[in-house]
Amino acid sequence: MEALNHLLAGFAAALTVKYLLFALAGCVLGTLIGVLPGLGPAAGTAILIPLTFSLDPTGAIIMLSAIYYGAMYGGTITSVLINVPGEAASVVTCIDGYQMALQGRAGTALAIAAIGSFVGGTLATVALVAVATPLATLALKFGPVEFFALMVAGLCLVVGLAGKNMLAALLMTVIGLLLAMIGVDPVRGAPRFGFGVEELYDGIGFVPVVMGLFGVAELLLAAEKRQTHMIQADLNKWMPTREERRASAGAIGRGTVIGFVLGLIPGVGAIVPTFMAYVLEKRVSRTPERFGKGAIEGVASAETANNAYANAAMVPLLALGIPSSPTIAVLMGAFIINGITPGPFLFQERPELVWTVIASFFVGNALLLVLNLPLVGLWAKLLKIPFSYLCAGVLIFCVIGSYGLKQSLFDVWVMLGFGIIGYLLRKLDFPIAPAILALILGPMMEKSLRTTLEMSGGSFAIFLDRPAALVLLAVPVIVIGALVFRPGTFSKLRESDTD
Amino acid sequence: MRQGRLVATGVMLAFCLFALWQSLLLSLTDRLGPGPGFFPFWLAVIGAVLAIALLVSIWREAPSPANDDTRILPHGSGGRRWLAIVLLLAAVTLAMDFIGFRLAMLIFNAALVVALGDRRWWMIALFAAAGSFGVHYVFTTWLDVLLPDGRIWS
Repeated sequence: MEALNHLLAGFAAALTVKYLLFALAGCVLGTLIGVLPGLGPAAGTAILIPLTFSLDPTGAIIMLSAIYYGAMYGGTITSVLINVPGEAASVVTCIDGYQMALQGRAGTALAIAAIGSFVGGTLATVALVAVATPLATLALKFGPVEFFALMVAGLCLVVGLAGKNMLAALLMTVIGLLLAMIGVDPVRGAPRFGFGVEELYDGIGFVPVVMGLFGVAELLLAAEKRQTHMIQADLNKWMPTREERRASAGAIGRGTVIGFVLGLIPGVGAIVPTFMAYVLEKRVSRTPERFGKGAIEGVASAETANNAYANAAMVPLLALGIPSSPTIAVLMGAFIINGITPGPFLFQERPELVWTVIASFFVGNALLLVLNLPLVGLWAKLLKIPFSYLCAGVLIFCVIGSYGLKQSLFDVWVMLGFGIIGYLLRKLDFPIAPAILALILGPMMEKSLRTTLEMSGGSFAIFLDRPAALVLLAVPVIVIGALVFRPGTFSKLRESDTD
Repeated sequence: MRQGRLVATGVMLAFCLFALWQSLLLSLTDRLGPGPGFFPFWLAVIGAVLAIALLVSIWREAPSPANDDTRILPHGSGGRRWLAIVLLLAAVTLAMDFIGFRLAMLIFNAALVVALGDRRWWMIALFAAAGSFGVHYVFTTWLDVLLPDGRIWS
């Protein structure tokens, strides 16, 4: 009941003109970024951070969250029209979405994707409201011992689901954690690894690193590839027929459940729920042979699961302070830039902020539906922007974003350096996501571990005395063990997932 | 590809060993408990062990011709576009300090669009001006983001 009262107060704030405009701007910009091939939600959210520098924390988070799920939807447009997923989660949408476009049903495919995204996102946010408060209340009982175990569990799950690259993912996690050690020691305040470079005593900035690894690296990869052509689609006919609506209803329901449940688990990534929802739909269908040839249920299930996942992934961030994917890590970075630490204390200390943001998820989902149904033709026109202008435009944002936070040109160099490193790591098949999550969790992990060891007089046995910590540490061990000894479809899925 | 992965893992091993050496220069423990060097020291140890394990694992991989043919560094026309982005980005970072955001970005935008193959001069001029003076105005006036003015103007 208390949650409902808070949510109503959140709606009162989220529906003010100011926050409505921020959500609208975020949805528009996110969709725009998602439409542009090669720029995923993580890169999109990162490069648009500078737009929120002057906003109040609530407004900044509302706008960035809207950018996130706008980008998740925007990726669908390229999947359907040019068979190129705008982000990893839209890979599955290509299978039937592009076939529908070839049959002259592109408008219907995009409409059902928008409707599925709205339903999945809204129902997942309802579930978020129900789950987040009890989870945060439980997490309030956690001390540094449990928090350290929780962060280890989160990172291990991300690593464990990296498939055949598990060893490389572990190494990337350690590299990310080591990079997070640069700067001032979070417990004693002693400067570390500065090498006399003044800028390094502030630590390696999260924003320039993310902009480099995602924004610049993706542009460098795209610069090597050939351009693709959009099919000429009639986007005026978008209303699904009664049969199509009936066929999609079950797919949307099942996609919501799969997307929400898997969104709660750190490291699963968006492609797993979309693929699982698609496979389930094919299994339950009386005519599975239609799948891959333009079945509307294929598009509906994948897109619903995608958006339900995107909203559910906010639960571990808001309730526990654990980012479950690189995009959520970017959002966590935005929280921290604005002086807010996500986690259970947020519900106690800043309830007005957290509930306004949650209410804005509902508003954002509705705005996305309103924007995407009638304006799909407009979004499709964006695909005609030449790469040269797109590249220059994105780099302007990257330069401003890297420089703007601390007014430091050193950070622009950091962005460029990490852009080249990110390009090479992608080419060499090293997973980047674990390093990003480790970079943001590093200082908190160190603080928790050192406080724990100070409490125990240096003994690691304290982890055995705390049942919650023991369980949290056991979960990733079991999951990783199971994946190592039975590497199956799940691991194969993860290989292509970059989110 | 295999060779590239070996080199990259070797670089990461060197990074971990460097971090190990540097963390040993800090105190690992003090009278209150773990010191500033404690966490990075153990991370570097774990990282070095993982890097060695990965090196061995890549070394033992059977070489596949398809895999080995994959070029890591950019080449051909794509390589020229790649290089243009990197060099121009480095140049604009250097130039911003001296001539400021507006002028540096004006030149950067025009040069990058030309380097990436566009030749419509009116379009390039319009984009370069909007992407430099226009963006500067929006960010400094409306969004309160400070951007470099350049030493030569001050």
